[in-house]
Amino acid sequence: MVVGELAHERDVVIIGGGPGGYNAAIRAAQLGLSVTLIEKDQLGGRCLNKGCIPSKVFTHASIKNAELKHLDELGISFSDSSFQLGKLQNYKAKVINQLRKGVESLCKAHKIEILKGKASFLSNDRIGVEANDSFEVYRFQHAVIATGGKLIPPKHIQIDHERILNAQSIFSIETIPKHLIVYGSDYIALEIAMSFNTFGSQVSFILDDEKEEFSFDSSINRELQRVMKKSKIKIYKNRKIIQATSTLENVTVELETNEGNRETLEGSHFFVSCKTKANIDELGIERLPINLTNKGFIEINQVGQTSIQNIYAIGDVTEGDALAVKAIKQGKVVAETIAGIDSEIDLTFIPTIVHSVPPIASVGLTEEEARKEYESINIGQFPLASNGYASILGQKDGFIKVISDAKNDLILGVHIIGAGAVELISSGVIGLENVARDEDIMFPLYPHPSINEGLLEAIEALKEKAIHKPPQKGTKVNLKSK
Amino acid sequence: MVEVKLHDIGEGMTEAIIIQYFVKKGDHVKADQPLVEIQTDKMTAEIPSPSSGVISAILIPEGQTVSVGTSLILLEGNEKTTPNKSKTSEEQVAVSAAVDYSQEQAKTLHQTSKSKRVLASPYTRKIARENGVDLALVTGTGPSGRIMDEDVYRFIEVKKGSGEQKEATSSHSVEKQLKNTTSPEQKSNEMVKETDENVIPFRGRRKQIAKKMSQSLYTIAHCTHFEEIDVSELIKLREELKENNLNISATAFFIKALSLSLKQYPIFNAKLDEENEVIRLEKEHHFGIAVDTEDGLIVPVIKNVESKSLRQIHDEAKLLTKKALENQLTSKELTGGTFTISNVGPLGGSIGATPIINYPEVALVAFHKTKKRPVVTENDEIAIRSMMNISMSFDHRVADGATAVQFTNYFMKLIENPKFMLVEMV
Repeated sequence: MVVGELAHERDVVIIGGGPGGYNAAIRAAQLGLSVTLIEKDQLGGRCLNKGCIPSKVFTHASIKNAELKHLDELGISFSDSSFQLGKLQNYKAKVINQLRKGVESLCKAHKIEILKGKASFLSNDRIGVEANDSFEVYRFQHAVIATGGKLIPPKHIQIDHERILNAQSIFSIETIPKHLIVYGSDYIALEIAMSFNTFGSQVSFILDDEKEEFSFDSSINRELQRVMKKSKIKIYKNRKIIQATSTLENVTVELETNEGNRETLEGSHFFVSCKTKANIDELGIERLPINLTNKGFIEINQVGQTSIQNIYAIGDVTEGDALAVKAIKQGKVVAETIAGIDSEIDLTFIPTIVHSVPPIASVGLTEEEARKEYESINIGQFPLASNGYASILGQKDGFIKVISDAKNDLILGVHIIGAGAVELISSGVIGLENVARDEDIMFPLYPHPSINEGLLEAIEALKEKAIHKPPQKGTKVNLKSK
Repeated sequence: MVEVKLHDIGEGMTEAIIIQYFVKKGDHVKADQPLVEIQTDKMTAEIPSPSSGVISAILIPEGQTVSVGTSLILLEGNEKTTPNKSKTSEEQVAVSAAVDYSQEQAKTLHQTSKSKRVLASPYTRKIARENGVDLALVTGTGPSGRIMDEDVYRFIEVKKGSGEQKEATSSHSVEKQLKNTTSPEQKSNEMVKETDENVIPFRGRRKQIAKKMSQSLYTIAHCTHFEEIDVSELIKLREELKENNLNISATAFFIKALSLSLKQYPIFNAKLDEENEVIRLEKEHHFGIAVDTEDGLIVPVIKNVESKSLRQIHDEAKLLTKKALENQLTSKELTGGTFTISNVGPLGGSIGATPIINYPEVALVAFHKTKKRPVVTENDEIAIRSMMNISMSFDHRVADGATAVQFTNYFMKLIENPKFMLVEMV
């Protein structure tokens, strides 16, 4: 370390160039602050390089693959419809490269200084950046910790990145697994299970943490299991993993049921969905010190500020879902707060999405949560099989479900499984944020024909007014009284 | 745990201002002990404790307007509980968490749960943030309890009005530092930093009066005409009655005569319903009587004047006035009026006025001082008569000047010849 070094002076120093970090950097630059972004690896972070984006390349390919049968129905046939994983890997690399370049040029355009290196705090206004042989010290007014999370495998499982894979290694796989065993219940586990299923892998799905159910709305859980069963994905519930062992050729996963019965699953590959922990080990924050939560994440308030007032934290280093949507929002709020603007993070209506086949998207309360919190609720559910456009697309699985407070028609939650779910959920998010009641969503005009109309009919179904849904048997509908 | 809520203490009440709490956190209270004083449109009331116990939290600060159903106080009961059973323990946690919100130093993200939903649009939330308003303390008046822009602005006003120097509830010090020099709240606080004698709080009844008056003036097309009435015969009649130990006030006669006139001209006992494009004639004559009290104007209502005797009207008017002066009127006695009178005669002075109609009524009549004046009689002689001026304001959207003149003429006939009233009495 250099002794008696001269520190460089900076307004805002951001550590980590993932979605949280670069959003914070650009927003801060937009607000006239001089910004330095420190990244030890590549801009875009785990999301762009190893997470969201690569996984979506795979799910996109799987969705297209699943459509092949339908294309044939439409008269479009291919003599050779083989799937080449290698080509997909090239495509993935191209997309990631393009997006990363985009981020880099945006940062450049905003005159954001990018430092390559490993950062560690020296005090609450100084940070050292180590790159190759050099060690430079920067003095900052404000710092933002955006160093992300680290994947932690469950107990008794060792990720070898060959046969036993996690989210970082599975998308670099070079052959399509013959029999893929998936352990998890989150979006990543589902996306991987469904993707490789359409690529031709046999898939077995073990719900993690001895779960009995997925954690979506109960109706979504049912439909999801029906769809998985239809795709011949076998689901194992209430199972504990005793151990997983791999050889050069295959993987053996030993399970124990609730009753204590042992069973063994043999597969070619084993994917393990991991929890995350804050990536703060080499950051030197214990020197400051910054308060951590019980779970070991950095404690922040509603503007992303840590226990040290000029240091902020965003994204996976903070508690809550390890989702880029959270990091992006926090990044912007933190930048605005530093610039003196009143801003706020509220993740109440964070949408949960799964790019599975069919996709799942959800926001607000599930039926079960709503029943706990409200005296009486209305449920409106509309099957996509009754939506004209879904029929044209040949994607009739799934439904749209809306939950409202029966007392005052306030919308409480929107849950979608089926074509268009991910794009359509935005309507639900906007509705919830704007305190919408049923009429607020029922009144607008919906493009026809489109999946959007499914949302309209689900809202109408709250009071049995959906046009393309027959009345429930034994109920006499009197719309006037409603 | 018992939640003490603002309940409807009379018909039609939708909101009230918290005037003052008689208790503080930690106080032991007995059942029926008054906990808080509230003020509605026109009355003040106390909310008693539903059971004995210890005050565990005060949820709404003084000076804030809240709607019916809002929880005001949390009471740790040790006797019977009230029907306001709270649903889940989770909810209680949410409520108490909201209370401690402002004291909490760092509200970390992971505490945000779906059940603590903020019922305000993102735009409204921004306004709140920019003004340092904690939405957990604001009561929404919008649909389904939604917090509207106006609710936030009103909250800011109330806060300013109460002269609270309380810091904005932002829990992070950097924001405070940034704001210390520029906070709009602080600036306005400095502006109103005057000596106490100079400042009259614009709250409570004064503010309610202001609100009602401007609503009336902005809505109703006011038109006022004056008339002078010879009340000599009425005075004579009252004296005769007095000799027989029957004391009936002039006001009672005026009310009865007005009621009889309204039977002829029911258009002045009506309500204009613009939304449905109708004028509704009210069958019943509920007379509001304007009473001047220390706190300002208040209008108790005598119900069903059309079917009451002069004596009943007299007694009721007397009782209501007394209650008004002692601030003991109930909400029932203050609502439902269809016509209003204002007898400013006894106050001395004033020969005419342009009274503001008690919205949404259609008309109001003010009675001025009765004076002996020289009057030219039918026989072209000058006589000394007791004369009184009246001013009648009416809603020109609903009725026209000619009808109003016919109305006061009819009334004049009844007062100048009280015997005519007999003919119309039911």
